[in-house]
Amino acid sequence: MSKVLELNQIKAAGSASTKEDAIAEAAHILIAAGAVTPEYLDFMKAREELTSTFMGNFLAIPHGTNEGKDTILSSALSFVRYANPIDWDGNEVRFVVGIAGKDGGHMDTLAAVATIFSDNDEVQKLIDASDDAELFALLSELNDA
Amino acid sequence: MTTTSTPAKTGGARVGVQKFGTFISGMVMPNIAAFIAWGFITALFIPDGWLPNLGFAPEWVQQLGGWSVNEDVENLGIVGPMITFLLPLLIANTGGRMVYGVRGGVVGTIATMGVIIGAGIPMFLGAMIVGPLAAWVIKAIDRLWAGKIRPGFEMLVDNFSGGIVGMLLAIAAFAGIAPAVTALTRALESAISFLVENGLLPLASVLVEPGKILFLNNAINHGVFTPLGTNQVAMDGKSILFLIEANPGPGLGILLAFLVFGVGLMRASAPGAILIQFVGGIHEIYFPYVLAKPLLVIAAIAGGMTGVATNVIFDSGLRAPASPGSIIAVIAQTPPDSLVGVLLSVVLSATVSFVVAAVIIRAGRKRDLEAMADGDDALAAAVAKNAANKGRESSVGDLLGTGAAATGAAGAATATKIQNVVFACDAGMGSSAMGATVLRNKFTKAGIEGVTVTNKAIANLDGSEDVIITQNELTARASEKVPGAIHVSVDNFMNSPKYDEVVDMVSK
Repeated sequence: MSKVLELNQIKAAGSASTKEDAIAEAAHILIAAGAVTPEYLDFMKAREELTSTFMGNFLAIPHGTNEGKDTILSSALSFVRYANPIDWDGNEVRFVVGIAGKDGGHMDTLAAVATIFSDNDEVQKLIDASDDAELFALLSELNDA
Repeated sequence: MTTTSTPAKTGGARVGVQKFGTFISGMVMPNIAAFIAWGFITALFIPDGWLPNLGFAPEWVQQLGGWSVNEDVENLGIVGPMITFLLPLLIANTGGRMVYGVRGGVVGTIATMGVIIGAGIPMFLGAMIVGPLAAWVIKAIDRLWAGKIRPGFEMLVDNFSGGIVGMLLAIAAFAGIAPAVTALTRALESAISFLVENGLLPLASVLVEPGKILFLNNAINHGVFTPLGTNQVAMDGKSILFLIEANPGPGLGILLAFLVFGVGLMRASAPGAILIQFVGGIHEIYFPYVLAKPLLVIAAIAGGMTGVATNVIFDSGLRAPASPGSIIAVIAQTPPDSLVGVLLSVVLSATVSFVVAAVIIRAGRKRDLEAMADGDDALAAAVAKNAANKGRESSVGDLLGTGAAATGAAGAATATKIQNVVFACDAGMGSSAMGATVLRNKFTKAGIEGVTVTNKAIANLDGSEDVIITQNELTARASEKVPGAIHVSVDNFMNSPKYDEVVDMVSK
């Protein structure tokens, strides 16, 4: 089974400046990783309209709705950091973690993301990281979780 | 069994019986539609049913009734499987759900198959015992490893533990409970034959009526009265024994009492039930009404004894079994010299059971109305539960508003300890899983044990949750789904001050 978060699914410098673009950026990483079909983006947008996926501590976790789960091929995450905060329904977001979860296979990883982001020191380390590789190193425990 | 047939003398026992009654009622009443469907199907399609009696009995009617002689088809019919399997399993499922949500319902239903196959007769008593019991067992077992399962494996563990426990309970029920019930049925049969053979006929009603309510009517009728009665007919040309169980009067009286004095669903469904019972001769239709209010068995006994006594006085009887026990079948089997006695026995038994039932129903009417006003319609397990729920809801308001003062109130208001905290979101895939992890870590740090924190899709909430945490926008949907739980809204899943309140609340 492949890992849910590979180096090429991490971007230390995201290009999006709006919430909509950031969701699309997350979706494209997941599509490129072969984890979801292109239709998944529509379900991510629908989920965002239902309620914001802003989680607190500069983190948003866009993902699809329950109805969209057929468009998920395998579990994967995308991890994008933005230098300038994105306005996410009035909240500041620096990290966008796109989620594709199939049969609960992403749960361990998600739990690890939650553990990291609930710790302010860890969040600061992620903000200070210099590039993709350093982020990947900080997050690598996710794959082992 | 003893609880249903020996209703209360003292105050404490009275409350006990009422509680038992409301629980039984909660199991039976939601399924009343299935009983009505079965009643109509039976009245229409059995060999003595309405359609064959009208001379309309094509192949498909025979197949539905289960009496086709065509060897090329499965000839199960729909009547037998419905009463043997469907109705008891529905009751078991509802009973299981009341104890432990959908999961309790599933395991209770599996286990009940064991009793049904083991007993070989319609097994309502067994279903009412095994359904909730099995749900309680799986609830206790789940608690053993609650919170210790790696995230993502919950469903796997749940499915296999539920399946294996269900299987074991079905086997245990087959081996243990079914023989006990069969023995009980036999004992009842021999006790009734003893009374009959010793001329203590009216006393037979004391056993026959409770036996009927437990759906042992056919066992009693065919096991005791038909053989003994047939002997009497050979000598006297008629037998009173055919009327002891088959007299539709007592059931009619009870249903009429519901029609006049009942509330909610029981009242609304009474007219249809009367048609099925009195004209259709399917007595089973009124048994759930009595099971829902076990004290009513007194009305059934009083009515039954009145009917038997009337027939003894008038020396009246039937030429052959009235099967089914419809007023039409009864009259058709009445010899001319018995007509007055038989009709009087039906009318008088109905009157007596009506009067007794009316008193009992009226005595509980206020409570039933309150239960209905709370939206639970005589599903009165609800009464006590509602009180608790109200306490919880108000404490929720406080919790969301003023915080500290409220946590004490919540601790006091919830009689049960908080054990099951659930994060809910739309898909149960993202935000709720993260929130659950964060809170689980907080619980571990606070040294809290014995409380599970899981995440679910809102659509999968099943009422077993003590505390439900949702994002602000989703709280309304979640509290609509599970009004009985404490609801907590958060806006920041990663680092909400609400978490500390929940930790406080749980550690008390």
